[in-house]
Amino acid sequence: MPEQTEGNATTGTRRAMRLGVAGPVGTGKSTLIATLCRELADELSMAVVTNDIYTDEDARLLRAAGVLPIERIHAVETGACPHTAIRDDVTPNLLAVEDLEAEFAPLDLVVVESGGDNLTATFSPALADAQIFCLDVAGGGDVARKGGPGIERADLLVVNKTDLAPHVGVDAEQMVTDAKASRGGLPVLALSQHDEVSIKALAGWVHQVLADYRSGTHVPRDPGPMAPHSHADGTTHTHEGGEDGHEHA
Amino acid sequence: MSTGLGTLLLADARLPVGGHTYSAGLEPALLDGLPVERIPAYIEARMRTVGLAEAAASVLAYRAVGGAFVPGRIEAGPEGLGVDADALADVHEALLARSPSAPLREISGLLGRGLVRLADRLWPEHPAVKALRTLGRAPQRPIALGVVAAVMGSEEAEVARVSLYDDAQTVASAALKLAPVDPVDAAGWVLGAEGVISSVVAEALAVEGIDDLPARTAPQIEGWSLEHQVKTRRIFVA
Repeated sequence: MPEQTEGNATTGTRRAMRLGVAGPVGTGKSTLIATLCRELADELSMAVVTNDIYTDEDARLLRAAGVLPIERIHAVETGACPHTAIRDDVTPNLLAVEDLEAEFAPLDLVVVESGGDNLTATFSPALADAQIFCLDVAGGGDVARKGGPGIERADLLVVNKTDLAPHVGVDAEQMVTDAKASRGGLPVLALSQHDEVSIKALAGWVHQVLADYRSGTHVPRDPGPMAPHSHADGTTHTHEGGEDGHEHA
Repeated sequence: MSTGLGTLLLADARLPVGGHTYSAGLEPALLDGLPVERIPAYIEARMRTVGLAEAAASVLAYRAVGGAFVPGRIEAGPEGLGVDADALADVHEALLARSPSAPLREISGLLGRGLVRLADRLWPEHPAVKALRTLGRAPQRPIALGVVAAVMGSEEAEVARVSLYDDAQTVASAALKLAPVDPVDAAGWVLGAEGVISSVVAEALAVEGIDDLPARTAPQIEGWSLEHQVKTRRIFVA
């Protein structure tokens, strides 16, 4: 039957919200997802899809963490194309999400973890209703300032491992300030596994987006891939979600 | 007659149906010691075995939904005259019976689901797509391919050729991720398979029904697929 694409109170349907987590390798995406499961799984019916590049390491990490029943964690092999699997051809991930939704209906939240990729990889709105982009202080304090579609336009930017900042010579507060400056008011969260307040803030953000999604006020946005650019007539703008209909020569 | 865009789309790896997760068995083959220089022979072995069975099944599926405009066969049109859901189900069953490896049936079903998703979105009301849906949510890829090709107006020889080309190209493309291969060499392997593909296309088109649908499999490839299924370190699902 025709695919169910809507999922909010406006249309009367109720499919789970799909939350993407992207960001470079090693920034703490799997741990962030384990944290979300630990914080939310008591209240929400959840499932996770991991996209490992070479192993099912991420799925195993989550299963070993014991934060979610293992049958609710599916690993998708991406054929060494982690960016393709969340952007140009999301089919394998959508099938995995649909399997989980069918098996554990009704689900509230499906988290899709991108295989760690570069700064330009973001989720297609065809796969994720909302997305978190994850950086960490150990990746360098200037990364947030350099920007990119995920950093600038993901629904939430996480600056992770802030407890490591003194050890890697990075000013975490400055990094958050730089990130905020490039995001036009979109939220930035400084996260540490050792900072319970930050963890609660993360869980609170997910609750809020889920509430907005269900009430129909959350609109999936496409963070990338186009960067703001200028035209010969001197105007500067961004392309978001296809709402801009002009043509490029 | 020129090749339609539909046929080109089906032959294009950029068609969003999940093909990038599949190596057509090459990953386990290389892991078991297949030398890189034998990959062209591996491609040919696939063409002559599973390639023929799948291409012939695609052609039968195409005919079952009235895709064939070839004189003497079912007269059909874009409105779906000649769609025979029972015949399509028979072809699907016959192909399943010729696919002994459970993991290979599974990946074929995943790739089939990708094509079903495409068909559901683009032609939700087409009688051939409705017939495809009666096979469950994960029909084998060759069956879905034959149906989608029929809906897009491909000729039946193109259906067989696309099925075989896609298999050869899947191996060649996966090789670039798995071994130190020059992409130009990989393109050369695919072109080098043209002779065998043409002869297998002719064999596939000569198949008249499920009774003479070839049951050729490659036991080594089946065995590798079983080993690969339980590996924890792998790039491709199969």
